[in-house]
Amino acid sequence: MEKLSSEIPPGWDYNPSTWGQRLPLVAVAVIGLGISLYLGLYQLRVISSVWDPFFGPASSQKVLNSPLSRVLPIPDALLGAIAYGVDALTGVFGRTGRWKTLPWLVVLFGIAVGPLGTVSVLLVIAQPVLENAWCTMCLASAAISIAMIGPAMDEVLASLQFLQRVKRNGQSVWKAFWGDKAITATVR
Amino acid sequence: MLPRILNALLGLWLIVSPAVLQVDTNIADNAHIVGPIIVTVSVIAISDSVRNVRLVNTLCGGWLLIAPWVMGYNNLPATINDLVVGSLTIGLSLVRGHVGHQFGGGWRSLFQDDPDHSRQASQR
Repeated sequence: MEKLSSEIPPGWDYNPSTWGQRLPLVAVAVIGLGISLYLGLYQLRVISSVWDPFFGPASSQKVLNSPLSRVLPIPDALLGAIAYGVDALTGVFGRTGRWKTLPWLVVLFGIAVGPLGTVSVLLVIAQPVLENAWCTMCLASAAISIAMIGPAMDEVLASLQFLQRVKRNGQSVWKAFWGDKAITATVR
Repeated sequence: MLPRILNALLGLWLIVSPAVLQVDTNIADNAHIVGPIIVTVSVIAISDSVRNVRLVNTLCGGWLLIAPWVMGYNNLPATINDLVVGSLTIGLSLVRGHVGHQFGGGWRSLFQDDPDHSRQASQR
């Protein structure tokens, strides 16, 4: 085990990979997973209606049955569930020094939370613009996706800066990306 | 944090404003597109490490200032609404606010020849 102080990235004043930083994101991703699974079960007609206290089930169902939601072979809520699953898994794996020891995992986490999370904004826009309808639980899921982005990005930055130091040190960024222990031991 | 929350509330207002102001489809669509972007950018920019994402909202605010003419609004309340929301969004997005943490030179360090985090790493 490395000492805790060496887990703080150079030039930083905290470690972005601590459990305190990561577990809240994992918890929120699991909530998002639950919501999108629920919506996906409706899209698969496993359940026959969805709960919508503000706009009514008919409005929600218009959104969930829209052409856009079926653009891909899998209904969009289930794709969201998969993305939340990736968020949670890539958020929970690895020790507290993982910004340095597992850059690939942190970058994957960042892509799942960041760019994939941003897709949810497009789905929010599509509700009124394309369908002239709103869906409360879809909005709740989008809110969760968006709330996760900012808090997740610091860890990605720490990993990218580490890979930058590896490159400046003349060592293989590719190997470091996959967690090469020799590089991890020599580059701070 | 307060400028980001106020800006998110402005974005939310923009989203609901078509229903309140009774506007045409093109005006409503514009509000329903720009509003969620403003909310999203505001919420992301709450985090210290990505505070400068707020500048995307400067662009959104700028668009709201010209949208009534570019898109030919025929609705005075909607025009005034876009001008007010746009101006406030520009103003709020330009407030950097308190960044309480250090990030080894931040995202821009990734494009620098001699980044802060690298100098810090070799010092210790």
